[in-house]
Amino acid sequence: MSDDDAELVALIDNALDESPRTALLARLAADERLRQRYEEFRRTSAPLAAALDELLTQAPLARLRALLPPDEPLRQPSRRFAGLALRDLAAGFVIGLLVAGAAAWAASTFGFFGGKEDWRSAVTVYTNMYSNETFSPLKPDASLQAIELSALGAKVGVNLTPESVALPGLRFAVAFMLAYDGAPLGVIAYVDPSGAPVALCIIANDAPDAPMRSERRGDLSLAWWSRGGRSRLVIARIPEERAVALAQTLEKRI
Amino acid sequence: MSEASRREVRAGLEPSLARLWRYALVLSKARDTADDLVQATCLRAIERADQFAPGTRVDRWLFAILRSIWLNEIRSQRIREGGGFVDAEDALTTDGAREIEMNITAAAVLRAIDRLPEAQRETILLVYGEGYSYAEAAVALGVPIGTIMSRLAAGRAALARLK
Repeated sequence: MSDDDAELVALIDNALDESPRTALLARLAADERLRQRYEEFRRTSAPLAAALDELLTQAPLARLRALLPPDEPLRQPSRRFAGLALRDLAAGFVIGLLVAGAAAWAASTFGFFGGKEDWRSAVTVYTNMYSNETFSPLKPDASLQAIELSALGAKVGVNLTPESVALPGLRFAVAFMLAYDGAPLGVIAYVDPSGAPVALCIIANDAPDAPMRSERRGDLSLAWWSRGGRSRLVIARIPEERAVALAQTLEKRI
Repeated sequence: MSEASRREVRAGLEPSLARLWRYALVLSKARDTADDLVQATCLRAIERADQFAPGTRVDRWLFAILRSIWLNEIRSQRIREGGGFVDAEDALTTDGAREIEMNITAAAVLRAIDRLPEAQRETILLVYGEGYSYAEAAVALGVPIGTIMSRLAAGRAALARLK
């Protein structure tokens, strides 16, 4: 599979940005072999969609409906769980929605919060879903860290390097972009040796400069400050003093 | 728990059942596991309904829960037990004893999807089955968009070889 293949498929899926799209279209016009490859991929679209639709029709709906728990207010979760066919599954599960899942719905639907100033609430919602399993499998090497941070820094307008975001006792896991109320929101996730997540969020929200403040929200501690039209937030299930200490370390560098 | 959240989650379960089951089947390649996974997802969603934001997409939230249960409980348990994965190449076209009746093309495509690695199967399902954009899939799966592109191209290349 070549880079060309990935771009051809993205072109078919209308997922290419303007610049690479234009370049690829120009190459297609001049390259018969590339056009053949494009056609090969294009012809898979309809059968693929049909096959996935077919799979949907096979769902044992009657059986699944019968498995739904009764519609009533919750009793103790442990009692409810005991009656399930799944009781032999691993116990002690921590919800651990991946970065992804949590961020996807939270980022796409933050309209329920109270406007630009409430981005911390939005972050709190999806950070609540991070578990020790969410980021711990992610172990990017130094070059990938630099690439991710550089890309994220460019989006939020802050110069970021592995050195400038390094925190004592924490390992960098991943950097990814979200958006809140139209403002780019970058998240840099760390894990401690047990896998517990700590997140540094940077949002380009044009906020006026503001000194560091901190608070507790549930079992999460938040420490945040604003400078140069960007607000920064450290958030984690750690003591508030620790969150502030981490934020102060970062404040000197970013 | 917010009653509004609970009601919205509850109302979103049944309309999502078939799609949840398809996702579970594509991940697990086992129909009985898919049933269990959907059931566990629904239960977990009700238990955690206070974490659902009313007005947001229940289906995407359910998908994230299903994926989390798959990765953190079922899949990891299989690995811990040392069994790895049964390489059921026809998992999507048979339900054990009988061949599912479907047209030849769909069966061939599903067999090809069956043979793909889990990450490619999942990416194909989310983008082409569920309509996730590349960016949404990247966030949902916690990988760069370039990885999404590679997975989709690899999957499509396998399908293109079918003829």
